Amino acid sequence: MADAFTHNMVHFTRLLRAQGLRGTPETTVALIEAAEAVGLADRDDAYHAFRAVVIGRPNEVPVFDQAFELFFGSGRRWEPMEPLELKVHPHQRMHIIAPTSVAAGAGGEEGEEVELDEQLGASASTRLSLRDFTDLSTEEYAQVQRLIARMVWQPADTRSRRWRPSRSGSRPDLRRTLRQMTGPAGEMMPLAMSAPKPRRRPLLVLADVSGSMERYTEMLLYFIHAARGRLGKVEAFVFSTHLHRITRELAHRDPKVALSRVGDAVHDWSSGTLIGEALGDFNRNWSRRVVRGGPVALVISDGWDRGDPDVLRVEMAAFARTVHRVVWLNPLAGRAGFAPETRGMRAAMPYVDDFLPVGTLSDLAAVVRLLETVPRKRSPRPRPEPATPEPADSP
Amino acid sequence: MLDSIDGVIDSLEQERYLPERALGVSIYLALQLGKPLFLEGEAGVGKTEVAKVLASLLGTELIRLQCYEGLDVNHAVYEWDYPKQMLAIRLIEASDEHVDADDIMSRDYLVARPLLQAVEASAKGKRPVLLIDELDRADEEFEAYLLELLSDFQVTIPEIGTIRAEEPPVVVLTSNRTREIHDALKRRCIYHWIDYPDFEREVAIVQRKVPEVPETLAADLAHAMEQLRTMDLFKPPGVAETLDWAAALVVLGTERLDPEVVEDTLGVILKYQEDIERLRATGTEQLLVPAI
Repeated sequence: MADAFTHNMVHFTRLLRAQGLRGTPETTVALIEAAEAVGLADRDDAYHAFRAVVIGRPNEVPVFDQAFELFFGSGRRWEPMEPLELKVHPHQRMHIIAPTSVAAGAGGEEGEEVELDEQLGASASTRLSLRDFTDLSTEEYAQVQRLIARMVWQPADTRSRRWRPSRSGSRPDLRRTLRQMTGPAGEMMPLAMSAPKPRRRPLLVLADVSGSMERYTEMLLYFIHAARGRLGKVEAFVFSTHLHRITRELAHRDPKVALSRVGDAVHDWSSGTLIGEALGDFNRNWSRRVVRGGPVALVISDGWDRGDPDVLRVEMAAFARTVHRVVWLNPLAGRAGFAPETRGMRAAMPYVDDFLPVGTLSDLAAVVRLLETVPRKRSPRPRPEPATPEPADSP
Repeated sequence: MLDSIDGVIDSLEQERYLPERALGVSIYLALQLGKPLFLEGEAGVGKTEVAKVLASLLGTELIRLQCYEGLDVNHAVYEWDYPKQMLAIRLIEASDEHVDADDIMSRDYLVARPLLQAVEASAKGKRPVLLIDELDRADEEFEAYLLELLSDFQVTIPEIGTIRAEEPPVVVLTSNRTREIHDALKRRCIYHWIDYPDFEREVAIVQRKVPEVPETLAADLAHAMEQLRTMDLFKPPGVAETLDWAAALVVLGTERLDPEVVEDTLGVILKYQEDIERLRATGTEQLLVPAI
């Protein structure tokens, strides 16, 4: 009996794993222990017990329910069954992002030696680095992507609340001092000191992927992926009419895989933009979960907004209060004669600390350099202004 | 008493804690398997309360560790008693002898912080309840340390040696989910997401916790809370707010909710100005049970 049951649990574990849940041999052991503790007489109790040892976050419950139902539902309880083939994570993924350039990643010879100067490098790349992303040939596009992946990130540190030994520190380290006092008697021992340990300031990215941004989206996601790879602590979201968290999708090492996962996860590519609503969603549902340790926030958008500028103003004010610094990146800002005069841009500008273009490779390099010099002090925030009616944009 | 799921649930109810069945199963499992219980949920749904009630049920000590960023070994595990060490050094030196590390680095000079306290207090048949509260506020360094502690319940102090728990303490971890806790830690635990209670349970909780509240008012409150939680608020009120509200209304001698009372007591349930404005903009009437 024990054997058949163990067998069952192994199959159930496999099913869980296929569904993307926790499903290791450890899980099998935990399931068996749980079953022994709770018994199998009551189906609901067994369900709750299994669930408690398998899941680790509330949004896994529906997936678990499905697996439980599949395995234990409809009278097939406890009978050994063949491993199921499930189509939960289809391998075939859509390429939603900028179809013109998807093929670009495949091309390009290895070993093109581009000397790096400062951030990026001279010679061949200087020419490239000043060209707008939308003017690049397929081959150049791939080359720019490779250069992005090779950028050196050294963002400014901030203080953590942990302490480390330091001669020039300001706080006595009693544990070390006392430790040093043992030994030869009668000597004056200096106080051992400690200072705050530096830590890296996290980065938060909110990228607009609406229709007007379409031609820049893939390259910018590439840039965010590179940041994540180099810095680790990056929270990333994309928005058009809705907000989507893409941090987990971006976690894959290979940018092509990561970007295609993002493509799968987001459903409103290239539609209109409601920046204020998206920020509101962020402020209410995500801010407290992902904003920790005073991040620098990059908001990437051209500022074309279909929404109510008053909503944008209010949400922008709340957003700016929760992060260390707001850096707004606008792909159009580098163009001759540009002024941030769309309705959305005007509403947001009072809360923006830095406003930079991101249309070219050298623009991206400038962003990376900016992050190296982020001051430790926050700049003062304006209070939200009273709402004033404004004329509508016409994109 | 605690040797069946129903036994656990009954005992909790006697302690005036009304769990949903799934929580009862999780608590039972945690006790039976000796695994830590990991409770997540919005603020004010009664996560911390579980640990308090458990300690009182088991008749043992509740040892609480409140987490915060930068929480380190000195505050979580142990600290040396520096004044006492200094005194000892002086005494030894006064008699012209050498101070050895052993003289001032023994258990006598150690101050036990919650984690060491829990390990030391765990004897056969007497498992203290260790509450590690709001783990999401601590940083990853502390989480990594905890991972080690929760797997073998022992603390190693270089100068003294290893102190081991005779029996693992009952561990309750809570998180408000202001960030994700690492999977490696969750994997070692029995996980339960505490949701807001449904209408009937919330009425029952109010009546159990604030017995002075008339039944009609308890139903009014539970209904209003249900409505509030469907609104897109920055901080939807939890059960703790319901109970605060009930207590406040008892003091005011209220029998039924009406727009005026709601307006006067908004500050008890909503703690953000944006939320209060949002509710005022849509009207407080929608919180009331529609008159038939």
